[in-house]
Amino acid sequence: MGTWRIAWRNVFRNPRRTLIVVTAIAVGVGGAVFAMAINYGMVFQMVENAIDRDLGHLQIHAPGYGDDPGIAHRLAGGGAEVVRALEAEPAVRAFAPRLRGQALVFSPRASAGAELVGVEPEREREVTRIAESLSQGRYLGSSRRRVLVGAVLARRLTVKIGDKIVISVQDASGDLTGEAFRIAGIFDTASRDFDGGTIFLPLASAQALYGVGDDLSELVVVAHDRSEVEPLRDDLAARLDGKAEVRSWDQTQPLLRYMVELFDQMGWIVYGAVFVAMAFGIANVMLMAVHERIREIGILTAVGMRPRRLVGMIALESVVLTVIGLLLGLGLGLWAVASLQDGIDLSRWGEGLSDFGVGARIVPTLRRADLVIPAVAAAITALLAGLWPALRAARLRPAEAVRHT
Amino acid sequence: MAILEARDVTKTYDTRGVETPALRGVSLAIEPGEFSALAGPSGSGKTTLLNLFGALDVPTSGEVFLEGQALGGRSGSELAALRLEKLGFVFQAYNLIPVLTARENVEFVMELQGVKPAERRERAERLLAEVGLAELGSKRPLEMSGGQQQRVAVARAIASGPRIVLADEPTANLDSTTAGQLLDLMHRMNRERGVTFLFSTHDPQVIEKASRVVRLHDGRVAADERR
Repeated sequence: MGTWRIAWRNVFRNPRRTLIVVTAIAVGVGGAVFAMAINYGMVFQMVENAIDRDLGHLQIHAPGYGDDPGIAHRLAGGGAEVVRALEAEPAVRAFAPRLRGQALVFSPRASAGAELVGVEPEREREVTRIAESLSQGRYLGSSRRRVLVGAVLARRLTVKIGDKIVISVQDASGDLTGEAFRIAGIFDTASRDFDGGTIFLPLASAQALYGVGDDLSELVVVAHDRSEVEPLRDDLAARLDGKAEVRSWDQTQPLLRYMVELFDQMGWIVYGAVFVAMAFGIANVMLMAVHERIREIGILTAVGMRPRRLVGMIALESVVLTVIGLLLGLGLGLWAVASLQDGIDLSRWGEGLSDFGVGARIVPTLRRADLVIPAVAAAITALLAGLWPALRAARLRPAEAVRHT
Repeated sequence: MAILEARDVTKTYDTRGVETPALRGVSLAIEPGEFSALAGPSGSGKTTLLNLFGALDVPTSGEVFLEGQALGGRSGSELAALRLEKLGFVFQAYNLIPVLTARENVEFVMELQGVKPAERRERAERLLAEVGLAELGSKRPLEMSGGQQQRVAVARAIASGPRIVLADEPTANLDSTTAGQLLDLMHRMNRERGVTFLFSTHDPQVIEKASRVVRLHDGRVAADERR
């Protein structure tokens, strides 16, 4: 109790110095928490955009599609067996059929490569938000000759709503074929790549164009909860027993997963830098505090305080100082995140962000780990930073210390 | 058996390659119950010898004994434990922990010994009353005079129940009246509790009061007067 009392009171012995150190820690931790929230907000949006835009939680393909994505690998007969498996899974909220293939698109003024995605419009609404991404025109309806084009592709082809385009493909037999379509709608997601290379059209039109009957490229699936995705994937894979390939979003888009990991690591580097700087600051303050109290430390040692207890007392001072700063910093970070829940407008960097599939408005988002890990790291930092001055204090010779001037 | 004994003790300080002998072959035994002083001019080695007796330093050669136990070869932790159980200290100044009150300072050594809170509080209050400072228990050192601080230091030195109190120039920063009162207090502790007191001093009041004066000069015992 006495050791704790001395440590606690010593923290406030020099109020100005304590205030400076605590403020430095609070600003550092608060800034790091906020930076992590921005970082994760971007990552979260990147992943959610990709899932909502196109990926869904799971995609199911014919065997071999993963190594050779293309019209050659198809789920025959509308993927009936896969559909039965999906209907038997309570974790599945919705699923939708698709046919994918590469195409050349021609307008009166230009041409471009694109990926065709044949969809059942109303079922597609249940698994992605492409319908809500329309910036012009209308969503797909009953007409088999209407398509949706990405905004970047539309600019490239210099086409607008109602214009005609010709889509040319190599069908399942290997023959070149093509058809004319009119643009019903133009979509604008947060991804420049997606908006520059994707065309949606009715599934039946795509199947006719490629000459594949009622075959599908994939079934896209959404679960009730993100936490159910991996168990669902494993369940379906077991149930289908090699008759289809079942992949979660991060397996379908490994680049996206690598981006997520990269952003995460960058965030932890920021945290690491903050804590290293904090450690030096705390060590410096504690060294000064120990130097100012050499005589007092000599007295404590003289009356019988063991070196280990002395080390513990000084390390405790360091921890108390850090915990106060940490709590203030966490509060500061939380306040900053809470006050910006409408999002931060980063439209100045909008073009660059769209390369990552991130919109111009970022909502800072915190995970539990973003609060727990700094707390643990701060405690460890405080202990280590306080240990060096504490060990120096314990090595002082009592006879010299009590006479120190 | 001597309560404190130095056998042919030397102490040489090495400061950046310059060797300074502080004690040159001192042999001295202090008996239980003495109220004795180590006297001598600055640099005579009296504080050095006191520090060696108090296990605050180690001799360059020779051996120091505390209640018959050799202090040599012990770890810092072992020496701290010995000081806690067997010794009390009163220094010239800055005796007290500034962030603790008078009562907390007295209680602190008892807490290090593991005494229960209620008991150590009761003993602390009794000791403060004994040194005439019952009403200052909740005051911090900065709120007390030099003489009051030294009285609290005496109370703290006695609190752990030591057989020996080592006092290094305890009256140096006090006026003669206050010094005299402090000295009387310590003399009373010596008579009533049988605590051995050993001073390092050049204060004539202390030397006058001591029943034995060991005079040191240039690191050697020059005289040993018993009264």
